[in-house]
Amino acid sequence: MNAPILLQPDETFILNVGPQHPATHGVLRVKMEMSGEYIVNAETVIGYIHRMHEKMGELKTYPQFLMNLSRMDYLGALGYSHCHVLVVEKASGIVVPERAEYIRAIMVELNRIASHLFWFGAFVMDLGGFSPLMYALQDREHILDMLEAVTGSRLTYCYFRFGGLYNDIDDDFIAAARRFIPRMRKSLKKYKALVTGNIIFRKRLEGIAPLTPEMCRKYGASSAVARGSGINFDVRRNEPYSVYPEFDFDIPVYHECDSLARYMVRMDEIEQSLRIVEQGLDKLPGGPIMPDKKPKIIKPPAGDYYQAVETARGSFGVRLVSDGGKNPYRLKLRSPTYSNMHLFDEACRGMMIMDALAFMGSLDLVIPEIDR
Amino acid sequence: MICDKTKQALQSLFPKATPEPAESSPAIPSSEAQEKKAKAPAPRQDGVVERDYAVHGYHLDAQVSPDQLLEAVSILDEAAFFIESITGVDWIKENQLEVVYDFSRYDFDTCRVVIRTRLDRNNPVVPTITGIYAGANWHERETHDFFGIKFEGHPHLIPLLLPEDADFHPLLKDFKA
Amino acid sequence: MGTEKIPSSVVQFALADRLINIGRANSFWPLTFGIACCAIEMMATGCARFDMSRFGAEVFRPSARQSDVMIVAGTITKKMMPGIKTLYDQMPEPKWVMALGNCAISGGPFAFEGQYSIILGADQFLPVDVYIPGCPPRPEALLQGIIELEHLVSDWKRWKNPEAA
Repeated sequence: MNAPILLQPDETFILNVGPQHPATHGVLRVKMEMSGEYIVNAETVIGYIHRMHEKMGELKTYPQFLMNLSRMDYLGALGYSHCHVLVVEKASGIVVPERAEYIRAIMVELNRIASHLFWFGAFVMDLGGFSPLMYALQDREHILDMLEAVTGSRLTYCYFRFGGLYNDIDDDFIAAARRFIPRMRKSLKKYKALVTGNIIFRKRLEGIAPLTPEMCRKYGASSAVARGSGINFDVRRNEPYSVYPEFDFDIPVYHECDSLARYMVRMDEIEQSLRIVEQGLDKLPGGPIMPDKKPKIIKPPAGDYYQAVETARGSFGVRLVSDGGKNPYRLKLRSPTYSNMHLFDEACRGMMIMDALAFMGSLDLVIPEIDR
Repeated sequence: MICDKTKQALQSLFPKATPEPAESSPAIPSSEAQEKKAKAPAPRQDGVVERDYAVHGYHLDAQVSPDQLLEAVSILDEAAFFIESITGVDWIKENQLEVVYDFSRYDFDTCRVVIRTRLDRNNPVVPTITGIYAGANWHERETHDFFGIKFEGHPHLIPLLLPEDADFHPLLKDFKA
Repeated sequence: MGTEKIPSSVVQFALADRLINIGRANSFWPLTFGIACCAIEMMATGCARFDMSRFGAEVFRPSARQSDVMIVAGTITKKMMPGIKTLYDQMPEPKWVMALGNCAISGGPFAFEGQYSIILGADQFLPVDVYIPGCPPRPEALLQGIIELEHLVSDWKRWKNPEAA
């Protein structure tokens, strides 16, 4: 008779949550050293979708780079493009007409709602519930239809230009957006009943993966990761840009520090984005969408410039080092998911693997944004 | 105001140098001014400079030598800044590599601080700040990947974004694929 | 290769083979292998509005051993390539590969001079059966790609070609 092989109390094995895995939301690899169900150590390996956006930033001219930002984070693409056009406009001194800024804000907020809806569906799917994905993507299709009618793309928009936009919105868009807002509010009630109040869902997330505010500070976490730990930080409030000072909206902050807090922050953010869209449509001024005077070739003066915006995933920053030429000298993209993902290694020690995957889902990862 | 307190604390690192006057950069300089700038780029001295936030996007700009780096970062850590990012810039014409550290704050007392150090391009070595900010780990690995800058004392300086056996540094200006 | 009808042993049952191929064509089981942006359109195709389930292909299997179509959706980097080859080798025969999106066809918007990290297209190392262009392609394009693959696998057409009529 063969002797059974038993794991000794101090013995561990390496489990590879590989680049191809339904729960990793892309090509992310986590090498976990496990002792039974518990994680002793974890090491994240990234770089499987490193497409060198920063090198392309140096080799392409400013207008040629506009398309890259949508591919970086495809779920909330307009927020990222917004940051890039803002920093180049700031550096070159291009003044954006007010109507263009309002339309930009409306589009970015609609895109934020679409991104949160997709995250919501994928997150609940990670935990095992397949139906909310169908409902969430159905709502998202309404937003995509609206955005497609104006920008021409469903997912990877290239809509903003330096100085404004390339296509104006029409009455159809405004009517569709006004119809969408009460519809989305009804859907939020449905999600609250279906998911947030679900006892299994709550038991899986309450008390899981507490992140202290000090840890968030050491890693530079932002968005729901920081706001679920009681840190009241939102770039739209702390460092206002564009027309956000004109809008009246709240920043949801929860103090429980667990995965459920991060989930609730994002669900409340959808409601706040709906408020911003409503106010944007009410206050929309008339006028042109591109400035009268704009340099033909964009050549910001030499120096370095920084702009941060609040995207669906956190504080995204673009650091532009210019030498006065047609191409940027150095274009650094500060990705929020990079900083958010970094604390996974330290935070998941001692957790069970199923809790660690729920934690990963609550961080809202988009891997091409980490790898750039 | 935390900005002034931080500026004073950082300036105490440079007892000899006189602080430079606050720079006011014009929005679109004329072409003659650009030519003048191109002709005589004086290397910047170590010190703290205040920048115009509306144009540049940050408040304080401190250039330090690699030995003063840890002290400067500790000052910011005690004042509860969070690390935003670390990156490098390749100034090939001056034969130098620059490491740029971005810091910011969570509260409404907004102050963005940028710390820079300049290194020799042939032997770029700088101490690591992972002892102070654990989040610098990946940022430093990425900067090492792209520029070849060695961070002394880093616990795990292996390629992060490039393949594990990569031995090239793509963002250097003389890199050919 | 996946496009040829695999002959069974000495005795050929032509009608049975045809029937089996029609069965294969109507029940593709894709591998959940979304790499980048195109993966989102793949998931949107699987959901309620575009509904891949009408064509029998909504059963995404996470394990390569249980799937027969690999939809390469996204840019392939040199770091990821050995993993993709391993996954392809793990799939049992008969298997097919669909290259979804410009990146999987030929590198897409990332194929430019100075590129050091991506592979210019899935067909550099995999035998691709159907190419679906777009950046990202619309879900309807992915459905058209599945129908093209059905035509490749079996000689049964879902509906007549409009030009032929």
